[in-house]
Amino acid sequence: MPLLELNEVTIRFGGLIAVDSVDLVIEKGEILSLIGPNGAGKSTVFNLVTGIYPPTAGTITYKEQRLNGKKSYHINRLGIARTFQNIRLFPELPVLDNVKVGRHCRSKASVFGALLRTPAVKAEEKAIEQKALECLELMGLDHKKDEAAKNLPYGEQRRLEIARAMASDPELLLLDEPAAGMNSTEKKVLVEKITSIRDMGLTVFLVEHDMKFVMGISDRVAVLDYGRKIADGSPTEVQKNPDVIAAYLGKEVV
Amino acid sequence: MGLLDGLLPAYYESILITVGIYIILALGLNLITGVTGQLNLGHAAYMCIGAYTSAIMSMHYGMPFIVAILAGGLLAAAFGVVIGYPTLRLTGDYLAICTLGFGEILKSVLYNVPAVGGAMGLAGIPPKTTLTIVFIVMIIVIISMVRVESSRFGRALVAIREDEIAAECNGINATKYKLQMFSLGCFIAGIGGALWAHKIMVLQPRDFGFLKSIEILNMVVLGGLGSIPGTILGATVLTSIPEILRFSSEYRMLLYGALLVAMMIFRPHGLMGGVSFNSIAKRGMRWLKPGDKPDDKPGQKGMGG
Repeated sequence: MPLLELNEVTIRFGGLIAVDSVDLVIEKGEILSLIGPNGAGKSTVFNLVTGIYPPTAGTITYKEQRLNGKKSYHINRLGIARTFQNIRLFPELPVLDNVKVGRHCRSKASVFGALLRTPAVKAEEKAIEQKALECLELMGLDHKKDEAAKNLPYGEQRRLEIARAMASDPELLLLDEPAAGMNSTEKKVLVEKITSIRDMGLTVFLVEHDMKFVMGISDRVAVLDYGRKIADGSPTEVQKNPDVIAAYLGKEVV
Repeated sequence: MGLLDGLLPAYYESILITVGIYIILALGLNLITGVTGQLNLGHAAYMCIGAYTSAIMSMHYGMPFIVAILAGGLLAAAFGVVIGYPTLRLTGDYLAICTLGFGEILKSVLYNVPAVGGAMGLAGIPPKTTLTIVFIVMIIVIISMVRVESSRFGRALVAIREDEIAAECNGINATKYKLQMFSLGCFIAGIGGALWAHKIMVLQPRDFGFLKSIEILNMVVLGGLGSIPGTILGATVLTSIPEILRFSSEYRMLLYGALLVAMMIFRPHGLMGGVSFNSIAKRGMRWLKPGDKPDDKPGQKGMGG
């Protein structure tokens, strides 16, 4: 029983088929990478899974529940959290509050709770802060908790996005190009963090450009080209696949 | 009843009442436009609903003032839900135009309803608004807004302002929260309107037009969008400046305009943009305990970005 299953998922934007009947299976506890040239539709797959776009055809199933047509906030509550390719933090909010927002779906205080500030609400608020601090510590950002998110250097912003995603206690973590723009030291730290997240029992699904990064960290790699899946297997299998080589390096014209 | 009443000359008391009411109105708008980032150009319409409702409640039904105030707030909140449900799906300019449109529609409707006086206005409202009552309501509203700011609800609102898609992907039902927030903001506007009605005693539809909405928006922007102390300061300054400038008689509004322009050039984020009661308290603590300064982070510029 896979954790997440995409079954012939297709999305069209007008005449463009961004994702073309893709089948994909993610097993619990693995790190799966989705790679492919620019514009292959990798981020679109993430947007489909997290409910930002509804698929034109096909089904997305998570723990035996259909995700098609579910809203993003609902999908988050089911246990899927994500980061974004072009970093989408809440820039004006302090680092700690960014992560607290990530805890939203696991807490319940309402408007009236906010106004009346009952003991239960106060206790919940304390628990939210505790969880947020844990997530910051996990990503090595606890010393920056009071700074505005916009003031963090790029690599730390990427890590903050992961901390925020972790605050909802997800079972499946989607990371959209987590290493983009990082230098090699930062990447090394990131690999450690992602591996430790997997060791905590989470399933990680990531989209990445950096081949070295992908091959080092992934249990399995799927390759997308022009919206179609052209390969799926262990990193070494995929590296040898002639279709993948053609997609990345171009084909020899005979 | 009325610890604060009669302590000051009537003129100053009247100005303070006006300042208090505008602080209430501006805090309601700050929640909508400052905290959640939903540009509302029709705030005066909800003030208007509260004003007329409460006036009718006390004139025709002889309700106690508190009931009249709450009725005004509740009906304004109800309108907030009805108007907000379809329009809050819009963003930016489109939402602004819709809220503006509602304000104008409401004004035209009131002009043509004889039961509330039409263009002649609704006169004979009992003068029940006192400085004490305004002060109490103002304090309750300020405390409520401070509590919202540091709550799960308030964080969700700021998250929506900062990035709605990221907010949704972090479990926030943006439509629901915007609607709740909007009706709360309208409730506060309605209460402000009710206090206003029982102060000026005559209501005319034209008093609640676009210009009134802009006047309140000015206070929020001048003070610093999203900042509660800023909004309070903005409302205080903009309500009292026309009074302070009275010496210059006909040049009054000219000076007022010039001041606004200067303010926006020199303080584009408002007088207290980004300042909260919390941050003021923190800074105060630092002053009191100069020994342990929070670690100055030396030049952590990293890769920028």
